[in-house]
Amino acid sequence: MSDPSFFEWLSTSPWANAMNGPEWAFPLVQSLHFIGFAFSIGTIAIVDLRLLGWAMPRQSAAELAADLAPWTTVGFVLMLITGPLMFSADAVTYHNNASFQFKMTVLLLAFLFHFTLHRRATRAGVLPLTAKFAGGLSLLLWTAVVAGGRMIAFV
Amino acid sequence: MSIPSLLQWIESTDLSTAIREGALPYPIIGGIHLLGIALFGGMLLMTDLRLLGWAMRRVPVSDIVRQFQPWKWAGFMVVVASGLLLAWAEPIKLYRSPAFWVKMALLALVGVHALVFRARVYGNTTELDVTVTGEAKLAAAISLLLWAGLIISGRLIAYDA
Repeated sequence: MSDPSFFEWLSTSPWANAMNGPEWAFPLVQSLHFIGFAFSIGTIAIVDLRLLGWAMPRQSAAELAADLAPWTTVGFVLMLITGPLMFSADAVTYHNNASFQFKMTVLLLAFLFHFTLHRRATRAGVLPLTAKFAGGLSLLLWTAVVAGGRMIAFV
Repeated sequence: MSIPSLLQWIESTDLSTAIREGALPYPIIGGIHLLGIALFGGMLLMTDLRLLGWAMRRVPVSDIVRQFQPWKWAGFMVVVASGLLLAWAEPIKLYRSPAFWVKMALLALVGVHALVFRARVYGNTTELDVTVTGEAKLAAAISLLLWAGLIISGRLIAYDA
Protein backbone atom coordinates (compact mmCIF):
# COMPACT_ATOMS: atom_id res chain seq x y z
CA MET A 1 0.00 0.00 0.00
CA SER A 2 2.56 2.55 1.13
CA ASP A 3 6.19 2.57 2.17
CA PRO A 4 6.52 -0.16 4.82
CA SER A 5 9.76 1.27 6.21
CA PHE A 6 7.82 4.19 7.70
CA PHE A 7 5.69 1.82 9.79
CA GLU A 8 8.75 -0.20 10.79
CA TRP A 9 10.49 2.97 11.88
CA LEU A 10 7.36 4.04 13.78
CA SER A 11 7.17 0.76 15.69
CA THR A 12 10.78 1.19 16.89
CA SER A 13 10.37 4.87 17.83
CA PRO A 14 10.99 5.91 21.44
CA TRP A 15 7.26 6.34 22.15
CA ALA A 16 6.50 2.92 20.64
CA ASN A 17 9.15 1.43 22.93
CA ALA A 18 7.55 3.19 25.89
CA MET A 19 4.17 1.72 24.91
CA ASN A 20 5.70 -1.75 24.62
CA GLY A 21 7.66 -1.37 27.85
CA PRO A 22 5.79 -1.77 31.13
CA GLU A 23 2.72 -4.03 31.05
CA TRP A 24 0.40 -1.27 32.23
CA ALA A 25 1.38 1.25 29.53
CA PHE A 26 -0.91 0.01 26.76
CA PRO A 27 -4.06 -0.55 28.87
CA LEU A 28 -3.58 2.83 30.56
CA VAL A 29 -3.32 4.66 27.23
CA GLN A 30 -6.28 2.63 25.99
CA SER A 31 -8.31 3.73 29.02
CA LEU A 32 -7.46 7.36 28.26
CA HIS A 33 -8.62 6.67 24.70
CA PHE A 34 -11.97 5.46 26.10
CA ILE A 35 -12.26 8.52 28.35
CA GLY A 36 -11.44 10.61 25.26
CA PHE A 37 -14.28 9.16 23.24
CA ALA A 38 -16.72 9.52 26.12
CA PHE A 39 -15.89 13.24 25.99
CA SER A 40 -16.03 13.56 22.20
CA ILE A 41 -18.57 11.00 21.01
CA GLY A 42 -20.58 11.36 24.22
CA THR A 43 -21.02 15.11 23.76
CA ILE A 44 -21.68 14.71 20.02
CA ALA A 45 -24.35 12.12 20.89
CA ILE A 46 -26.07 14.64 23.18
CA VAL A 47 -26.34 17.09 20.26
CA ASP A 48 -27.46 14.26 17.94
CA LEU A 49 -30.22 13.19 20.33
CA ARG A 50 -31.34 16.82 20.47
CA LEU A 51 -31.32 17.07 16.66
CA LEU A 52 -33.46 13.93 16.55
CA GLY A 53 -35.82 15.53 19.07
CA TRP A 54 -35.30 12.76 21.63
CA ALA A 55 -33.45 14.59 24.44
CA MET A 56 -32.96 18.03 26.02
CA PRO A 57 -36.12 19.65 24.54
CA ARG A 58 -35.65 22.72 26.77
CA GLN A 59 -32.38 23.69 25.10
CA SER A 60 -31.87 24.39 21.41
CA ALA A 61 -29.43 22.32 19.36
CA ALA A 62 -27.48 25.50 18.64
CA GLU A 63 -27.12 26.26 22.35
CA LEU A 64 -26.10 22.69 23.20
CA ALA A 65 -23.62 22.50 20.33
CA ALA A 66 -21.99 25.77 21.43
CA ASP A 67 -21.80 24.73 25.10
CA LEU A 68 -20.49 21.24 24.37
CA ALA A 69 -18.00 22.06 21.59
CA PRO A 70 -15.03 22.72 23.93
CA TRP A 71 -15.57 19.32 25.60
CA THR A 72 -15.87 17.60 22.24
CA THR A 73 -12.50 19.14 21.39
CA VAL A 74 -11.01 17.94 24.69
CA GLY A 75 -12.07 14.44 23.68
CA PHE A 76 -10.72 14.77 20.13
CA VAL A 77 -7.33 15.92 21.44
CA LEU A 78 -7.17 13.05 23.93
CA MET A 79 -8.06 10.53 21.21
CA LEU A 80 -5.66 11.99 18.67
CA ILE A 81 -2.80 11.65 21.18
CA THR A 82 -3.64 8.20 22.55
CA GLY A 83 -4.74 6.67 19.22
CA PRO A 84 -1.46 7.28 17.34
CA LEU A 85 0.47 6.16 20.46
CA MET A 86 -1.31 2.79 20.40
CA PHE A 87 -0.89 2.59 16.63
CA SER A 88 2.87 3.16 16.94
CA ALA A 89 3.22 0.27 19.36
CA ASP A 90 2.52 -2.19 16.55
CA ALA A 91 2.33 0.01 13.45
CA VAL A 92 3.05 -2.64 10.80
CA THR A 93 0.31 -4.97 12.06
CA TYR A 94 -2.29 -2.25 12.54
CA HIS A 95 -1.82 -0.63 9.17
CA ASN A 96 -2.54 -3.99 7.51
CA ASN A 97 -5.52 -4.68 9.81
CA ALA A 98 -8.82 -4.56 7.88
CA SER A 99 -10.77 -3.27 10.91
CA PHE A 100 -8.21 -0.53 11.46
CA GLN A 101 -8.48 0.52 7.80
CA PHE A 102 -12.28 0.50 8.10
CA LYS A 103 -12.12 2.56 11.29
CA MET A 104 -9.82 5.18 9.75
CA THR A 105 -12.07 5.50 6.69
CA VAL A 106 -15.23 6.01 8.77
CA LEU A 107 -13.34 8.29 11.16
CA LEU A 108 -12.34 10.53 8.25
CA LEU A 109 -15.96 10.62 7.05
CA ALA A 110 -17.20 11.30 10.59
CA PHE A 111 -14.73 14.19 11.03
CA LEU A 112 -15.61 15.70 7.65
CA PHE A 113 -19.32 15.41 8.39
CA HIS A 114 -18.93 16.77 11.91
CA PHE A 115 -17.14 19.97 10.89
CA THR A 116 -19.29 20.69 7.82
CA LEU A 117 -22.89 19.51 7.41
CA HIS A 118 -23.42 18.49 11.06
CA ARG A 119 -22.26 21.89 12.26
CA ARG A 120 -24.66 23.63 9.86
CA ALA A 121 -27.53 21.39 10.95
CA THR A 122 -27.22 22.60 14.55
CA ARG A 123 -27.89 26.22 13.54
CA ALA A 124 -31.23 27.84 14.18
CA GLY A 125 -33.77 27.75 11.34
CA VAL A 126 -32.77 24.38 9.92
CA LEU A 127 -35.62 22.22 8.63
CA PRO A 128 -36.59 19.60 11.24
CA LEU A 129 -36.09 16.79 8.75
CA THR A 130 -32.58 18.02 7.91
CA ALA A 131 -31.76 18.20 11.62
CA LYS A 132 -33.06 14.66 12.19
CA PHE A 133 -31.12 13.32 9.23
CA ALA A 134 -27.89 14.97 10.44
CA GLY A 135 -28.37 13.65 13.99
CA GLY A 136 -29.08 10.12 12.81
CA LEU A 137 -26.19 10.01 10.35
CA SER A 138 -23.80 11.40 12.97
CA LEU A 139 -24.81 8.73 15.51
CA LEU A 140 -24.39 6.06 12.82
CA LEU A 141 -20.94 7.27 11.78
CA TRP A 142 -19.57 7.47 15.33
CA THR A 143 -21.11 4.10 16.20
CA ALA A 144 -19.26 2.64 13.20
CA VAL A 145 -16.01 4.25 14.41
CA VAL A 146 -16.33 2.60 17.85
CA ALA A 147 -17.41 -0.74 16.37
CA GLY A 148 -14.51 -0.69 13.91
CA GLY A 149 -12.12 0.11 16.76
CA ARG A 150 -13.39 -2.78 18.86
CA MET A 151 -12.97 -5.20 15.94
CA ILE A 152 -9.25 -4.33 15.50
CA ALA A 153 -8.35 -6.77 18.28
CA PHE A 154 -10.42 -9.58 16.76
CA VAL A 155 -9.31 -9.80 13.10
CA MET B 1 -22.56 -25.51 45.57
CA SER B 2 -18.97 -24.36 45.92
CA ILE B 3 -17.72 -21.33 44.02
CA PRO B 4 -15.38 -23.26 41.67
CA SER B 5 -18.13 -25.67 40.69
CA LEU B 6 -20.58 -22.81 40.21
CA LEU B 7 -18.11 -21.07 37.89
CA GLN B 8 -17.53 -24.31 36.03
CA TRP B 9 -21.26 -24.77 35.61
CA ILE B 10 -21.55 -21.22 34.19
CA GLU B 11 -18.77 -21.93 31.72
CA SER B 12 -20.47 -25.15 30.65
CA THR B 13 -23.76 -23.46 29.75
CA ASP B 14 -24.54 -23.11 26.05
CA LEU B 15 -24.72 -19.34 26.34
CA SER B 16 -21.25 -19.11 27.89
CA THR B 17 -19.73 -21.42 25.26
CA ALA B 18 -21.44 -19.55 22.43
CA ILE B 19 -20.08 -16.16 23.54
CA ARG B 20 -16.62 -17.51 24.33
CA GLU B 21 -16.06 -19.66 21.27
CA GLY B 22 -18.05 -17.98 18.51
CA ALA B 23 -16.18 -15.59 16.25
CA LEU B 24 -18.72 -12.78 16.43
CA PRO B 25 -20.62 -12.68 19.76
CA TYR B 26 -17.70 -11.62 21.95
CA PRO B 27 -16.56 -8.62 19.86
CA ILE B 28 -20.18 -7.59 19.21
CA ILE B 29 -21.11 -7.66 22.91
CA GLY B 30 -17.80 -5.96 23.72
CA GLY B 31 -18.64 -3.34 21.10
CA ILE B 32 -22.05 -2.71 22.68
CA HIS B 33 -20.36 -2.39 26.10
CA LEU B 34 -18.01 0.20 24.61
CA LEU B 35 -20.80 2.01 22.73
CA GLY B 36 -22.68 2.34 26.00
CA ILE B 37 -19.62 4.09 27.45
CA ALA B 38 -19.24 6.26 24.33
CA LEU B 39 -22.86 7.36 23.92
CA PHE B 40 -23.82 7.83 27.56
CA GLY B 41 -20.45 8.56 29.18
CA GLY B 42 -20.75 12.08 27.83
CA MET B 43 -23.95 12.65 29.80
CA LEU B 44 -22.35 11.47 33.02
CA LEU B 45 -19.32 13.68 32.36
CA MET B 46 -21.42 16.74 31.54
CA THR B 47 -23.71 16.27 34.57
CA ASP B 48 -20.74 16.07 36.92
CA LEU B 49 -18.78 18.85 35.20
CA ARG B 50 -21.89 21.06 35.38
CA LEU B 51 -22.15 20.44 39.11
CA LEU B 52 -18.48 21.38 39.42
CA GLY B 53 -19.23 24.58 37.47
CA TRP B 54 -16.92 23.73 34.56
CA ALA B 55 -19.37 22.89 31.76
CA MET B 56 -22.71 24.09 30.36
CA ARG B 57 -23.01 26.91 32.84
CA ARG B 58 -25.80 28.61 30.87
CA VAL B 59 -28.05 25.60 31.44
CA PRO B 60 -29.73 25.22 34.85
CA VAL B 61 -28.53 22.21 36.87
CA SER B 62 -32.10 20.92 37.13
CA ASP B 63 -32.45 20.88 33.31
CA ILE B 64 -29.27 18.88 32.91
CA VAL B 65 -29.85 16.37 35.70
CA ARG B 66 -33.50 15.73 34.84
CA GLN B 67 -33.14 15.57 31.07
CA PHE B 68 -30.07 13.33 31.13
CA GLN B 69 -31.32 11.00 33.86
CA PRO B 70 -33.40 8.59 31.70
CA TRP B 71 -30.62 8.36 29.12
CA LYS B 72 -27.93 7.81 31.71
CA TRP B 73 -30.08 5.11 33.27
CA ALA B 74 -30.63 3.44 29.88
CA GLY B 75 -26.92 3.66 29.14
CA PHE B 76 -26.04 2.15 32.52
CA MET B 77 -28.42 -0.75 31.81
CA VAL B 78 -26.83 -1.35 28.39
CA VAL B 79 -23.35 -1.38 29.92
CA VAL B 80 -24.37 -3.65 32.83
CA ALA B 81 -26.30 -6.10 30.61
CA SER B 82 -23.49 -6.40 28.07
CA GLY B 83 -20.97 -6.63 30.92
CA LEU B 84 -22.91 -9.50 32.51
CA LEU B 85 -22.88 -11.39 29.20
CA LEU B 86 -19.12 -10.85 28.87
CA ALA B 87 -18.63 -12.09 32.44
CA TRP B 88 -20.86 -15.10 31.78
CA ALA B 89 -18.50 -16.10 28.95
CA GLU B 90 -15.40 -16.48 31.13
CA PRO B 91 -16.22 -16.47 34.85
CA ILE B 92 -13.17 -18.53 35.88
CA LYS B 93 -10.75 -16.10 34.24
CA LEU B 94 -12.54 -13.17 35.91
CA TYR B 95 -12.58 -14.86 39.31
CA ARG B 96 -8.77 -15.04 39.14
CA SER B 97 -8.31 -11.50 37.82
CA PRO B 98 -7.36 -8.86 40.43
CA ALA B 99 -8.52 -6.06 38.07
CA PHE B 100 -11.98 -7.64 37.92
CA TRP B 101 -12.29 -7.49 41.71
CA VAL B 102 -11.10 -3.89 41.75
CA LYS B 103 -13.80 -3.15 39.20
CA MET B 104 -16.47 -4.92 41.29
CA ALA B 105 -15.36 -3.00 44.39
CA LEU B 106 -15.67 0.28 42.46
CA LEU B 107 -19.10 -0.80 41.25
CA ALA B 108 -20.13 -1.41 44.86
CA LEU B 109 -18.88 2.10 45.66
CA VAL B 110 -21.09 3.42 42.84
CA GLY B 111 -23.99 1.91 44.79
CA VAL B 112 -22.79 3.56 47.99
CA HIS B 113 -22.46 6.85 46.10
CA ALA B 114 -26.09 6.56 44.97
CA LEU B 115 -27.27 5.79 48.51
CA VAL B 116 -25.40 8.73 49.96
CA PHE B 117 -25.96 11.39 47.30
CA ARG B 118 -28.93 10.44 45.18
CA ALA B 119 -31.69 12.05 47.20
CA ARG B 120 -29.70 15.02 48.48
CA VAL B 121 -27.94 15.96 45.24
CA TYR B 122 -29.43 14.43 42.11
CA GLY B 123 -32.98 14.48 43.46
CA ASN B 124 -32.71 17.97 44.88
CA THR B 125 -31.84 20.01 41.82
CA THR B 126 -34.22 22.93 42.41
CA GLU B 127 -32.04 24.00 45.32
CA LEU B 128 -28.91 23.48 43.20
CA ASP B 129 -30.25 25.91 40.59
CA VAL B 130 -29.69 28.64 43.16
CA THR B 131 -26.31 27.52 44.46
CA VAL B 132 -24.39 24.32 43.84
CA THR B 133 -23.61 23.04 47.32
CA GLY B 134 -20.23 21.74 48.37
CA GLU B 135 -21.87 18.38 48.88
CA ALA B 136 -23.03 18.34 45.24
CA LYS B 137 -19.51 19.18 44.07
CA LEU B 138 -18.10 16.39 46.20
CA ALA B 139 -20.66 13.98 44.74
CA ALA B 140 -19.66 15.05 41.21
CA ALA B 141 -15.93 14.69 41.87
CA ILE B 142 -16.33 11.22 43.41
CA SER B 143 -18.59 10.18 40.55
CA LEU B 144 -15.96 11.21 37.98
CA LEU B 145 -13.21 9.33 39.85
CA LEU B 146 -15.33 6.18 40.17
CA TRP B 147 -16.21 6.30 36.48
CA ALA B 148 -12.56 6.70 35.40
CA GLY B 149 -11.59 3.90 37.80
CA LEU B 150 -14.22 1.60 36.30
CA ILE B 151 -12.88 2.22 32.79
CA ILE B 152 -9.24 1.67 33.78
CA SER B 153 -9.89 -1.45 35.87
CA GLY B 154 -12.18 -2.81 33.15
CA ARG B 155 -9.49 -2.41 30.54
CA LEU B 156 -6.88 -3.99 32.81
CA ILE B 157 -8.96 -7.19 33.08
CA ALA B 158 -7.90 -8.09 29.54
CA TYR B 159 -4.26 -7.94 30.64
CA ASP B 160 -4.57 -10.07 33.78
CA ALA B 161 -3.22 -13.59 33.35
